[in-house]
Amino acid sequence: MVEQVEIVVASGKGGVGKSTLTSVLAVELAKRGVKLVAADADAEAPNLSITLGVREWDSVEPYYEGRIAYIREDLCTQCGICKEVCPLDAVEVVDEKHVINQWICEGCLTCSLACPEKAIRFIFRVEAGSIMVKRETGYGFPLVSSTIRPGRPNSGKLVTEVKNKAKTLLAGVGFILVDAAAGIGCQVISSLTGAKIAVLVAEPTPASLSDLKRIHLLTRHFMVAPALVVNKYDINPEGLEDILDYAGREDIPVLGMIPYDDTVPKAASTGKPLNIAYPESPAAKAMVEVAEKVAEEILVDWRKWYSRYRPKRPAPYIPRIK
Amino acid sequence: MATIKVGVPSEGDTLDSPVADRFGRAPKFIVVEVDTDTGEIVSYQAVDNPGYTAGSGAGVKAAQKLGELGVKVYAGPTPGPNAYAALNYLGIKVVTVTGVSVREAVKAALKELGS
Repeated sequence: MVEQVEIVVASGKGGVGKSTLTSVLAVELAKRGVKLVAADADAEAPNLSITLGVREWDSVEPYYEGRIAYIREDLCTQCGICKEVCPLDAVEVVDEKHVINQWICEGCLTCSLACPEKAIRFIFRVEAGSIMVKRETGYGFPLVSSTIRPGRPNSGKLVTEVKNKAKTLLAGVGFILVDAAAGIGCQVISSLTGAKIAVLVAEPTPASLSDLKRIHLLTRHFMVAPALVVNKYDINPEGLEDILDYAGREDIPVLGMIPYDDTVPKAASTGKPLNIAYPESPAAKAMVEVAEKVAEEILVDWRKWYSRYRPKRPAPYIPRIK
Repeated sequence: MATIKVGVPSEGDTLDSPVADRFGRAPKFIVVEVDTDTGEIVSYQAVDNPGYTAGSGAGVKAAQKLGELGVKVYAGPTPGPNAYAALNYLGIKVVTVTGVSVREAVKAALKELGS
C-alpha cells in the first residue's frame, strides 16, 4: 500500500503563526531530503503561498460547489411565496419583480418546493473558487493552494480536493504538510481526518489556550498524535505556564518554543520564509530546531512516534441528536 | 445461516482495495456480508458514496447510505462528529481501523466485536 502520511499544522486560534511555521518546516524538511508536498487548507485566507513567495501558479483549476436558484420571469406570477419562505431572505423585489440575490442564496431548494408556478430553477456547477498548483516552489517541494470566492460555501470538500491533489503530486511514498485554517469547523475537520500527526501552534494567551483545548479535542476524536509548538512564548510567563501545564497533563509533547521576534513580520514582507530571509534571527533558529526535531524524532520512524503519542483509546466527540 | 453486514470506506472496488483514509468523502463503500458463526465472507458489493461529491453534510449522507444498505458494523477511519452521531443513531457500531485492505479491516472489526 502506498504510504502518504499527512501532518497537519493547526491551532484553533488564528494569527498564532501556523503559516510562518509551516513554511519554515516545509523548507527545512525538504532541505533534509524529506519528500513532501505542502498544502494550504485555508481557502478563506490562503497565506502559505505568500510566506513562501509563490506569485505565479503552474495551474489554476476552477472549484465547483453548490447551486444557486433563479426565478424564470416568464413563469413567475409575483405571488411572493418564495420571499416568505426563503430562510436566508435571499429573495428581493427589484422594479416590482421578485429576484434572487445570488450572493445570499445557498441553494437550499426551499423556494422551489414552495413555488406554485414551478418558476424556480437552479444554476449548478457554480464556480466557488480555485485550486492552484505550483510544481516547484524553489525550495524543493510543490505547493497546492486554494481560494474561495466571498460568500460561497467553504466546505470540507474543497480541503478534500486540495489534499487529493497533493497526494497525486506526491506520486508515491512521502509526506503531506497541511497548513490548516483557524477554527474547528468543517474545513479543519477535513484537514484532520486521515492525518497521523498534528503540530499544534499556541501562544501564551488565554484565547489561544482556550482554542488549543478545542483543537486538541478534535485531534483526540480523529486519533491524531498531537505535538505542541509555543510561539511568542516569552510575551506572557503566566500564560506560558498554563499552556505547558495543559500539555503536560494531556501528554502532548512540546517540540519547541519560539521567542517573540520582529523579523517575523519583516520576513513576511520580503516574500521569503523566515529561515531564508533572516536565518540568524532567534525565531528562525528556534523554528529550524523544531524542524530538526520533526525530521529526527518524528519522521525518521513516524509509526513509532504515532503509537507513542496517539490517543490510547478512541475518544470521539459525538454531538447529541434528539 | 446468520449474517451481518460490515461497511468499509474504500479507494477501490474490491476486498483487496485499501481502506480510504476518510469516512464522509471516501470514494466508495464496500459492503461485506459475513457469516456470524464462521466469520467467513459470504459476499460483497461496491457502492458509490453519496458523500464523495457532497458540498456539505457529506458524513451524514454517507452514514445514511450505510443505514439504507442494512450495515450493522462500520470499520474504517474515525468518522467526523456529525457522522459519528448519525451512525450511533442508526445503531451502527463503529470500529476504527486504518492503513489496511478492506478484507483485513473486516477481519479486525470482527475480532474487536468478538472480544
